[in-house]
Amino acid sequence: MSIRKFYTLYITISMVPLLMLIFPLFEIGNRATPIVMGLPFSFFWVILWIIITFAALIFLYSLDPDNKEEEEDV
Amino acid sequence: MPGWQIALFMMIGYLVIALVVGMLAGRGRDSSSLNEFAVAGGKLNLFVMWFLMGGAVFSAFSFLGAPGWAFSKGAPSLYILTYTAFAILPWYIIGPKIGRIGKKNNLYTVAAFMKGRFNSPALAIIVGLIALFASVQYLATQMSGMALIFNVMTEGRIPVWLGALVSYGIVVIYVATGGLRAAAWSDVFQGLLMIIISWAVGLTIVYQLHGGTTEMFATIARETPEFLQIGKTGSTMGSMAYTSTILVSVIGFLMWPHLFSKSYATTPKTIKKTVLAYPVFALFLIPLLLVGFAARGVVDSGQLDSPDQILPFLITTVLNMPGWLYGLVGAGALAAAMSTADAITHSASLEVTDGVIKNIWKKLSDTKTLLIMRIGVFVIGGIAYYITVFGGQGLIALLLGAYGSIVQFAPGVYSALYWRRVTTKGVISGLVVGTLVNYYFQLVASTTPFEIHAGILGLIANVVIMIVVSYLTKAPNVADVSKYVDAK
Repeated sequence: MSIRKFYTLYITISMVPLLMLIFPLFEIGNRATPIVMGLPFSFFWVILWIIITFAALIFLYSLDPDNKEEEEDV
Repeated sequence: MPGWQIALFMMIGYLVIALVVGMLAGRGRDSSSLNEFAVAGGKLNLFVMWFLMGGAVFSAFSFLGAPGWAFSKGAPSLYILTYTAFAILPWYIIGPKIGRIGKKNNLYTVAAFMKGRFNSPALAIIVGLIALFASVQYLATQMSGMALIFNVMTEGRIPVWLGALVSYGIVVIYVATGGLRAAAWSDVFQGLLMIIISWAVGLTIVYQLHGGTTEMFATIARETPEFLQIGKTGSTMGSMAYTSTILVSVIGFLMWPHLFSKSYATTPKTIKKTVLAYPVFALFLIPLLLVGFAARGVVDSGQLDSPDQILPFLITTVLNMPGWLYGLVGAGALAAAMSTADAITHSASLEVTDGVIKNIWKKLSDTKTLLIMRIGVFVIGGIAYYITVFGGQGLIALLLGAYGSIVQFAPGVYSALYWRRVTTKGVISGLVVGTLVNYYFQLVASTTPFEIHAGILGLIANVVIMIVVSYLTKAPNVADVSKYVDAK
């Protein structure tokens, strides 16, 4: 994958969860009940999408063509 | 021994450790090196970097303001989680690029970054000044937080001027001596401390008051469901205000000089890994929101001077907590405020030196520059302290406006990186107009159209003016453009 293509993919994938957390799409999760895992649904909805973002980033990182050439630096 | 005394000893103990960690971090490094002071030689590793970026967002606001928002506003406090998780994401793409440009051209700041691309000392001075005013405002908030914590936890025995002086004095000392590396290692220690404390204390409070989160939220959902929603009748915030507040925070976040300039402090790979691990930091804030919800129905808002006092108020007055818990909360809140204050003090001094001073006196040696940066730490610390303790009447509006204007750097920064046709005049006029629009809607007008955040209105004006003026003025020199846009 070219770096340009990767950036487009990165931007697209990270926009999806952000859009779910602002209006108008936030309306889907914008309710008090049911209570899920001890949290009101709106609260749970936000955390759910943050966790999805975290997982998506790890997946994206594994695709990043830049990481394959660079030296190890940690 | 009474509770306040145990708390006082623990907080002093914490401050001593913070000072020692800060002082030790800079040891054995070349203390005469400008590069080391400004960006830690560009070699910070992932572990430190993550805490440095995370510590900066975990501020006095998270420890005192977040529970306050949850208590007084309810669901809108979720914006804090959302913006913390998403604001860092653009850094994955722009961070490595800014870092490469910085290494090639020896840059440490936003001001120098803009000057390098647009060849304009005037632009650097504007950026430097906005950064200075915004940072002083930010620091004053942190310092009020530190002073408040000292004051409440010792039941009024430590006055505001002393609490602020001692805790912030320590920050100034370790930043002036150890530079970025000292700030970074202090943030690791302070970060760990506040994460552990916020979870332990947050959950303890919820279970003591309600027996669990499900019971607590079930009650709120039954009695006032709109409190757990946004933009409904009876909710505390409209949907447009909520959305534009998130957007302005997400766009503005990386424009803060103390975060932007971290692009220079490490390698591209570490930047990317920091972004990967960052959303986890948002989850650390959860217990602090829970505390605010837990106080509903227990504390009447008339009992507080401001909602920000809800966490310390619960600990000292409502719940019968042991003294060591007072101390823990005190130390955690101090850590949160100090880990933000150190990075901001450091970067404010760099921005003023690079943006303003070096553009007035053009031929400064590196040794002199470093000396000015160190002195700058004390001067900026002094100004922020003065504002916190004595207030600044006329100054307050100026500082608040600057604080809201940081986001106006965004069009210029992104254009510098990606848009070949943008011109110096375009960026300057966009920045000036955007800042003025923001000032007007933030401080003069009482409402904004459609409840849109003032910063977003400023951004719209900024972008339009920047594009129009850029096309009306002569295209820039190809070599200057290529230095940035094609940076590999």
